[in-house]
Amino acid sequence: MTLFECTGISKQFSTQFVLNNFDFSVAAGDKWDIRGASGIGKTTLFKLLLGFIQPESGSIHYKGKALTSKQVWQVRKDVAYVSQDAHIGHGLVNELFIETAGYKNNHSRYQTREQLAMHLDFFELNPGILNKPLEQLSGGEKQRIALINALMLNRTIFFLDEMTSALDGRMKIRTRDLFFTQNDWTVLSISHDLHSTTYPNTQTLTLGK
Amino acid sequence: MEAAQDLSPLSLLFCALLMLLPLAAVWYFRLGLVKNVLISSIRMVVQLVLMGVYLELLFKWNVGWINLLWFLAMMTAAMFSVLKNSQLNAKRLAWPVLASFALTNLFILLYFNGLVVRLDSLFDAKYIIAIGGMILGNSLRGNVVGLGDFYQSIAKEEHLYTYKLGLGASSYEALLPFAKQSFKAAIMPGIASMATMGIVSVPGMMTGQLLGGSVPMTAIKYQIAIMVAILTSTVIGIALSLIFTTRIAFDRNGMLRKDILHSNSSQNYHR
Repeated sequence: MTLFECTGISKQFSTQFVLNNFDFSVAAGDKWDIRGASGIGKTTLFKLLLGFIQPESGSIHYKGKALTSKQVWQVRKDVAYVSQDAHIGHGLVNELFIETAGYKNNHSRYQTREQLAMHLDFFELNPGILNKPLEQLSGGEKQRIALINALMLNRTIFFLDEMTSALDGRMKIRTRDLFFTQNDWTVLSISHDLHSTTYPNTQTLTLGK
Repeated sequence: MEAAQDLSPLSLLFCALLMLLPLAAVWYFRLGLVKNVLISSIRMVVQLVLMGVYLELLFKWNVGWINLLWFLAMMTAAMFSVLKNSQLNAKRLAWPVLASFALTNLFILLYFNGLVVRLDSLFDAKYIIAIGGMILGNSLRGNVVGLGDFYQSIAKEEHLYTYKLGLGASSYEALLPFAKQSFKAAIMPGIASMATMGIVSVPGMMTGQLLGGSVPMTAIKYQIAIMVAILTSTVIGIALSLIFTTRIAFDRNGMLRKDILHSNSSQNYHR
């Protein structure tokens, strides 16, 4: 099934085009490595798909329906998004999980505390981190907390913007393994890293070419 | 009861002489503010004289609907002042903020005049204009902080806001933490000033009443009542302003419209 279908979209900031007459199609289960120099429009693509910005021209469809306001809210319900920006909230780590679990859309789906403990373990984080203020975490810790929060959403489409940029080599590989080897997950991953491992069925989209 | 002693032309002359001291200081230290002090003083005098003229008229006529109309004009001025000081687009947000002020202040004023002061005529000029002006004026700062802080923090922390939307939050759910924070910032000074009431200064309203001949206990009872009214009006006013303006300030995708905040205000803003 086709999830996202971009046809001829263009987006410019001031006078510069970041995406120009761009076509892109994502099917369920696809794994995409999205690459390209800084400022080339990788994050812009995520923002367009999530309805945070609108293209100047062209059309975007999600599950066969045009990305109207109604459909935008559906995308945000279905996609687990890890933003490049490390600012994921104020207050304690635990409060981030509680707030996210409390959103009406997540009520029945958000994972349990047992699963949270497993994720913390996987990402080599001490459970004591739950009582730390988000502002005091290191970049790598924040990144892993954002990844765990995305996993807790129990969704199958992932938009990962520089998800491993602040992780060490071993953890980078572990994290990529996790996301790229699940058959039923659809993964769009933006990265600047040069990866030694490639996974079967992974497609590469290089922007700016 | 005896009214405060009138000030004769000679008194005013002495008052004007007193002005020479700050002027001399400003000039001597080369603060470059001589012109500002003069202009501000002249503006104050002209505005207050005009106020004296129309208050005399309003008090003489004392017609309910004119008093109300006057109060509406005061609220309109307050609305523009709040939007200007919080750097928000008046064209877009004038109506929702005015609606919020009108609902809040009319409710508080009628409640106050009817149930607290127990006036026979609810729309008496003295009470509508004096009490209303007092409540309105004192809730302004809270409204500026509340509205300004809310929209500026969303513009500044746009990534955090969109992150929440991406997690599946409705716009209400994503905005709530921002609203709580701004609400707090807006009412904290009011709560703090309640706690120092009667220690640091004699509040303006009490001064007026004492000079006007009220006994201290009456003045104090009014002061307590007015403080409660001001806090209530600040809280309800901000809540309604936030509720009413968010309906206009955000588009159907939940994004803050670009023209709500005046450009570069977010860069000038420090939390």
